[in-house]
Amino acid sequence: MAHHKISVTVNGSVESVDVPSNMTLLTMLREKLGLTGTKNGCTAGECGACTVFLNGEPVNSCLVLAVECDGAEVRTVESLARNGQLDPIQQSVIDHNAVQCGFCTPGVLISARALLDRNPDPTEEEIRDALVGNLCRCTGYIRILDAVKDAARVGAAPGTGGSR
Amino acid sequence: MKNVDMQMHVRGTSQFVDDLAAPAGCLHAALVTSRVARGRIRSLDLAEVLAAPGVVAVYTHRDVPGLNEVGHVLRDQPLLAVDQVEYIGQPLALVVAESHQAAWQAAALGRADIEELPAVLDPREALAQGMIHGQKRILVSGDPDAAFQTCRHVVQGRLASGPQEHFYFETQRALAVPTEHDTIKVHASTQSPGAFHRHLAEVLGLPMHKVELDIRRLGGAFGGKESTAVWVVAPALAAFLLKRPVKLVLPRNHDIATSGKRHPYEYDYRIGLDEEGQILAYEVDLYQHAGACADISLAVLGRSFLHASGAYRIPNIRVRAVSCRTNIPPNNAFRGFGVPQGTFAIEAAVTHAAEVLGVPAAQLKRKNLAGDGDVLPFGMVLENTNSGRCWETLDARVDLAARHAAVAEYNRTHTDSKRGLAVVPVCFGISFAQTALNQAGALVNIFVDGSVEVSTGAVEMGQGVNTKIQLVAARTLGIAPDRVRVHTTNTSRVPNASPTSASTGADLNGMATKYACEDLLTRLRRFAGQHLGHDDPEQITIREGVVHLAGKPTELRWEKLVAAAQWARVDLSSHAFYATPNLHLDPKTERGRPFAYYSCGTSLTEVWLDCVRGTYRLESVEVVHDVGRSLSEVIDRGQVAGGVMQGIGWSTVEQLRYAPDGRVLTGANAYKIPDLKSLAPHFAVTLLENSQNPNAVCNSKAVGEPPLIHGLGAWFAILDALRSVRRDKDLPSLPLTPEKVFMYLHG
Ligand code: FES
Ligand code: FES
Repeated sequence: MAHHKISVTVNGSVESVDVPSNMTLLTMLREKLGLTGTKNGCTAGECGACTVFLNGEPVNSCLVLAVECDGAEVRTVESLARNGQLDPIQQSVIDHNAVQCGFCTPGVLISARALLDRNPDPTEEEIRDALVGNLCRCTGYIRILDAVKDAARVGAAPGTGGSR
Repeated sequence: MKNVDMQMHVRGTSQFVDDLAAPAGCLHAALVTSRVARGRIRSLDLAEVLAAPGVVAVYTHRDVPGLNEVGHVLRDQPLLAVDQVEYIGQPLALVVAESHQAAWQAAALGRADIEELPAVLDPREALAQGMIHGQKRILVSGDPDAAFQTCRHVVQGRLASGPQEHFYFETQRALAVPTEHDTIKVHASTQSPGAFHRHLAEVLGLPMHKVELDIRRLGGAFGGKESTAVWVVAPALAAFLLKRPVKLVLPRNHDIATSGKRHPYEYDYRIGLDEEGQILAYEVDLYQHAGACADISLAVLGRSFLHASGAYRIPNIRVRAVSCRTNIPPNNAFRGFGVPQGTFAIEAAVTHAAEVLGVPAAQLKRKNLAGDGDVLPFGMVLENTNSGRCWETLDARVDLAARHAAVAEYNRTHTDSKRGLAVVPVCFGISFAQTALNQAGALVNIFVDGSVEVSTGAVEMGQGVNTKIQLVAARTLGIAPDRVRVHTTNTSRVPNASPTSASTGADLNGMATKYACEDLLTRLRRFAGQHLGHDDPEQITIREGVVHLAGKPTELRWEKLVAAAQWARVDLSSHAFYATPNLHLDPKTERGRPFAYYSCGTSLTEVWLDCVRGTYRLESVEVVHDVGRSLSEVIDRGQVAGGVMQGIGWSTVEQLRYAPDGRVLTGANAYKIPDLKSLAPHFAVTLLENSQNPNAVCNSKAVGEPPLIHGLGAWFAILDALRSVRRDKDLPSLPLTPEKVFMYLHG
């Protein structure tokens, strides 16, 4: 398998990584960079647990090849809190107890952050549309929905997701 | 109080098995599995596997140092096949390679020469061929034959319910690390510390004290990590043989294709009622589609069997149940453990009867609702159920009569769309029906700085059991919850633990924790009395971390008390044990009191149906459930909501298909679990007020499984809408996917 040296900015720091052609962004984050916050729920683009920001857009990192990320900017759940201070969406998820096993949570947070960055005042329908790809087997969703609504209501504060 | 792990979960710092830093030299395991559903193995050809890049070793059953067996209840499940295969996906060989990808790619190259035998994939056919697990069970109460003679209405039918994939977000996995003195430490995603510990030791041929199983947290389990030990034992075997760390992470599609599911069932029912709609007699045959090995199927069947009367008072009953051995992967536990199936049959029978009688199903249900003092078919007298109160609470919230009228009016005035509703009462026995499993141990250590560490056999899988245990300890000791930490579940600290299942995790382990804390408190109060120059320990209490004497706070704080006690040579560690009292079931007579108490609730589900397309929307779900005096309302509400949604998934969209050769056809891209758009616009959970439960820790009631049954309301509400269109067809099977709805309407 051919290997490639890529340069990618992850959570603000420039990383130079040696990746095989078939390695996904998800595997690179978890295994090459030790960023295990991003989870692998299906490796098939179905569950959303692996959602990260790629150049400001939420993507399923299990469907992106690491080599495609040469020169790109990636942000993961580990970057949401700034100086230990939780992002409002993280706080809202805690306030609403929208976590059970926690395996879907990192992906949910990224999708929600992405939604609030582009639309600080989403309707319920818009929230459902934006998070329909983030499955959760534990919570039954009601609290996830409420947490996102509330994060929007209290003013979603500065976005941490995009590169803008 | 909130789930203690939440801060870490939102920061992405909580660790699951695959997040632990891989030890140096860690290898990866994969399985070569059968592509034939039934046959005799002539030979295995593993040369290509061994030659594949990165492969370090390949093992077959011949390499197993101990017992080649992982059968959970019966000894009928080899770890690696010996001379025959019973299902597609059955493990034939174990591959170890330098990377996860290399291991699974190599495993796909395995070839087996198998003499094929005709596979049996239909439970009734299996039964006809005598392919069953264990024995048939029969329960008779009253005189059903005589009672049917006197019934004004007798209604009968056939039914089927399908499999359900657990779809725990974290697939099956384990990391095994060889340690000194030929011991091994295994980090695994399992609900069954005690049983898996034993399986590990048996397969490796080691005494159990050389195997340590450590469980931190699970990314969901729902029963699917209770009994099938293959994926935990296999990497341990490789690690043991190679003396190197080995990890196995089951890829999602392998997990779906080879792991057990909620058992599909088929049912024949007959129900008899008098003029007034009183149920006089009920007869049901349960055919469980169990798969190739017994796994935990007989226990699941037992629960369906004991819950055949559902939430109703039925004086004359006959239940026959049989576990059919078929050539699909062995099915296993799934939240509800057979109760959803047993309940489905009686709910369908009552609904069918209501149709014949021309009355709303809810009316029959209310009339026949079992409550305190009623006797269940196996002789247990119901107490403290609050079943009627749950129903009245729901009625007061939603006004059932008005809802019925609104649906009827809508349906009278609409032809292209219809509405439907269903009221589902739940009555769910709490305890393992296997009496021996109702035991738990807890180890509580108090350190000299006043911090407290609790170890139990309970496994945290998102249900919040660690938080509940932390609360029980803090409450019992009289200190703040943040002074208490619940440690990982580890077989070296708490041995022989029962699985965390049957909704009993908090009941059993919470009670053991309470006992251990009470023991420590007794020692500390005695010491505090001496310390304060007061020798009546009865006068000493600890509240909010402060020692009180005769109800008044003293200068003595918890931290000081603990340090002084240790210096005075008071033992600050205690192990305690709890076994649920007064449980028994005689397998010969099928009579007894297998459950400590019942968990009840009632719900209303409403749907809207597009009669042209066959699509539907859940409009509203209103649940009232009794959780006793809740240990943590936020956790319990979450359990109710999540359970109901899983039940809705099972009832509506979760469909798994098998090919005619027994292969699972549905992968992650086709198996649909409910998503955010499945959530009804109105979804409300009410916890019954003023409920007490003397039979569980701190007056609480178990909450893990019972609410799932409310999800059946989705199936019955859709059915209600469908039957308002046409009734000239048999009841459809569960789940009611949009395709099935379309075929029912237009087929
Ligand atoms: S792991 Fe990427 S979508 Fe599931
Ligand atoms: S909290 Fe477990 S999958 Fe969402």
